Amino acid sequence: MNISGSSFWLLAVVAIPVFGSFLIPLAGLAARKTDKHLALLLGAFTFFAASMVLLSVARGEAVSWHLSLPLAFDLQLDADYLSAFMGVVSSSISAIIIYYSQGYITAQRGHTEYYSIVTLFLGAMMGLVYSMNLIWMFVFWEITAICSWRLVGYYRGEKELQKANKTFLVTVFGALCLLLGIISIYAANGTVDLRHLKGETIPDFAVLMLLLGIFSKSATLPFSTWLPDAGVAPSPVTALLHAAVLVKIGVYAFARIFCATVQLDPVWSTFVLFIAGMSALVSGGAALIETDIKRIIAYSTISQIGFIFLGLAAMNRIGVAGALLYILMHGVAKAGLFLCAGIIEHKAHTKDITKMGGLFTAMPVTAVSFGLCAFSVMGIPPFGGFFSKFMVFRGAASFGHPGIVVLFLIGAVLTLVYLLRVFYAVFLGPQRPLAVTAGARAHEAPVQMVASVALLGTLSLLLGIFVYYPSHYLEVLCSQIGIILP
Amino acid sequence: MVTSLPYFAFIAVPALAALACPFAARIKPRYADILANTALAVGLLTALSFIPEIAKPLTLQAWNMGTGLSVFNNDVFSLLMLITVYMVALCTAFYSIFHEMPDGRRGVWNALILVCAAAMCGVAAARDFFTLYVFVEVTAVASYALIAFEDRRESTEGALKYFFLTAPASTFIVLGVALLMLYTGGTSFGHLAQAMSSSGAGDSAVAIILGVMACGFMVKAGLVPFHGWTPDAYQSAPAPVSALLSGVVTKAAGVYALIRIALALRVIYPAHAANAVGQALMFFGALSIVIGALGAVYQRDFKRMLAFSSISQVGYIVLAAGAGTPLALAGALFHLFNHATFKTALFLNSAAVEKQTGTTDMRKLGGLEARMPWTALTSNIAILSTAGIPPLSGFWSKLIIIVALWKAGLQSYAAIAIFASVLTLAYFILMQSRVFFGKTPEHLAKVSEARAGMLLPPILLAAVMIAIGFYFPLLFSNLVEPAAKAFL
Repeated sequence: MNISGSSFWLLAVVAIPVFGSFLIPLAGLAARKTDKHLALLLGAFTFFAASMVLLSVARGEAVSWHLSLPLAFDLQLDADYLSAFMGVVSSSISAIIIYYSQGYITAQRGHTEYYSIVTLFLGAMMGLVYSMNLIWMFVFWEITAICSWRLVGYYRGEKELQKANKTFLVTVFGALCLLLGIISIYAANGTVDLRHLKGETIPDFAVLMLLLGIFSKSATLPFSTWLPDAGVAPSPVTALLHAAVLVKIGVYAFARIFCATVQLDPVWSTFVLFIAGMSALVSGGAALIETDIKRIIAYSTISQIGFIFLGLAAMNRIGVAGALLYILMHGVAKAGLFLCAGIIEHKAHTKDITKMGGLFTAMPVTAVSFGLCAFSVMGIPPFGGFFSKFMVFRGAASFGHPGIVVLFLIGAVLTLVYLLRVFYAVFLGPQRPLAVTAGARAHEAPVQMVASVALLGTLSLLLGIFVYYPSHYLEVLCSQIGIILP
Repeated sequence: MVTSLPYFAFIAVPALAALACPFAARIKPRYADILANTALAVGLLTALSFIPEIAKPLTLQAWNMGTGLSVFNNDVFSLLMLITVYMVALCTAFYSIFHEMPDGRRGVWNALILVCAAAMCGVAAARDFFTLYVFVEVTAVASYALIAFEDRRESTEGALKYFFLTAPASTFIVLGVALLMLYTGGTSFGHLAQAMSSSGAGDSAVAIILGVMACGFMVKAGLVPFHGWTPDAYQSAPAPVSALLSGVVTKAAGVYALIRIALALRVIYPAHAANAVGQALMFFGALSIVIGALGAVYQRDFKRMLAFSSISQVGYIVLAAGAGTPLALAGALFHLFNHATFKTALFLNSAAVEKQTGTTDMRKLGGLEARMPWTALTSNIAILSTAGIPPLSGFWSKLIIIVALWKAGLQSYAAIAIFASVLTLAYFILMQSRVFFGKTPEHLAKVSEARAGMLLPPILLAAVMIAIGFYFPLLFSNLVEPAAKAFL
């Protein structure tokens, strides 16, 4: 096999974390702390390799690797503008989360399994991002389902197991719909290779099935309830699920299949927009009345995913570029929010925001980071989230259907309200009796945890200030790949 | 160069070893273990050594009751079956080394396992339905004895149930064979194909002959609605025997013959299942998938749940065999092998759990993951593979079955096969969270992991599942596809 330099990095970015995750238990057997160091090393390496792939793609090199298998089930890894972008976004956030975990997880039981599964998760995500074959996308898709099942049930209590099983069953049900769609494409078009499907039309039944799969993974309305429930997992895991890997799989698959490969009928676009709008609105409302900090942020994710679908389904350049920028901005900010929630939970020993208050003085760095990330999610200029939200709305406005745009505007206002509510209740406000005792002991968490959230908060701001670079890249992306976008 | 596969040796070696076992056990009980394991290991390695040869024209010396040895070409299906039989029998015999039983009975135990293996090889080697029937009965007799081996009330009951419920099946099979003889003047697979392709053959007569035989074999395979005996037999049998029964006995005694019948059907119905027997196979296969899975959801006993799961998984194989396209047959063979790996691993693990905790009642178990990490890990892999979750072997065989069904225009069966996976996953994670996941209750806090030797077979089987999962051509291109191609 002849592998050029850039294709080597492409193979490495998938193979190293996938197979490396099997080495982590061995390292854990050898010496107690090697497991976490190895996981960090693998995470950092994956980010590095993904960056190398991105650089090669930006230089205009063809980066691909391929393994022939019978029945046209070839494993085809290709890096183009879209996959290279998504690879860097996911791996960078995952690397930060693994770094954060070093402070969060070590003291507890089962940490070797934790690090092993998280690394496998990251590897599967990389595989999914770079796969050009729908069957292999499905394979990696399901590996992430297995990983999320183990991780959500990490604490092994009765409640955790129920939620983990629920997460697993809902996402697997969706995945099987997706598989049915893939098989009907295989039967109708004779191939599941996305490069050969480019510009083809696929049966309506397949579109419906693929959408069901995508919605279940991205926790969009009919399948949304598993995501708040998955909040029983350790905070770095929820950050991983919400920001870096799991729910982003659905939107990435949508972008990959319907924006970059096959032509989506406008009727379907409207259908997706409607579902996404309802999803944004309903979950925004749920976030307003919820009192558990992690559930609030989880509902916020469901509503923000709606915005990403808004941009993608608008099917024009500005909308798609905005949605992809949204994936980046939301990933960074949401990871920050969850990791902050993890610190708060770690220190205040509760997740109920009505029992907290006035924690600003006890943990200023965390509070400021939380604020920065929250501003980005709300879409306040000059934070990163503003630009993505703006582009998404501009794209949606030119699609038509003003009613849906209004729906989303209400959703955006709700975002503002519920995040301000959380920030006020947790960090400002009067010190509650319970929080005084908790707050008295509550000081800043271990350095890895605080450094991670500070980094993510700063990134949210910097990405807004230097928004030219990612948005320029995405403009090139939208003109380079895919079907002709207006 | 033509390679010939010495079927006779594959049958004779374990049979002779079975004869020697009781004598070896007289010298020292452990000698019987060593003898049985050596015979089976040598058989497995020999069978595996033929894999590189299958690209060449392969002659099989097959066993035919009428004429002694006869020669057939390129029957990779039989080779696949031989490998499966030897693999599962070796795992069972190896596990039995650590299974507690009175020293005086080790000889008989190993002899029975060897007889069972030899008879199943005979099934794979048979070239006519009568020979097939004889070996199926030998397998069954050895199985009765193995199920009732521990002389407990329940196991005698299970064995008797097995006996009484499958005896009518034997009648059906003999009846079918007699009709075949009457109608075509012979009982070999070739005669059947001839009868079906000759212009004089009426469809109804052939359909009746095949239908009667298929009924009998469906009972032996434990398909719904003939599944009454399976849960009791699997649950009450000594643990390693359940692995043997589910992993390979039902397949050799039932599924193999059903696939042979499906192959015969291809002669006159090459396109897809337009015939009554194929339709019936698909219908009962799909029914088994659903009823088996639904039944499993309500089970409280670990082994009983696995038994229902077997019914459901055998349904997949028969459903694909009934569809009868080359791809579907390939999927059926692939799933047959995969099912042997994961169900053997699960039953052996259930045996380890029973040995370490004294029960298989899931209400009394829980949180064993912390106490028995390797058993839990291999069980998880086997469970996910059974449910068809990638990247494990079960995913690829199910995928091929579903793709084949879809392509044959059987979309509704394909949908049933897909969504039954959710049910499979549902009962398995239910089981998993009751037995392994979760916090360890106090009365199990002192449970320890099984001995390394007991862990070895499940670990090796799990490695096979992962290897095939990451690179499915490992088995598919080497064995399954050539086998399916040879049918054409």
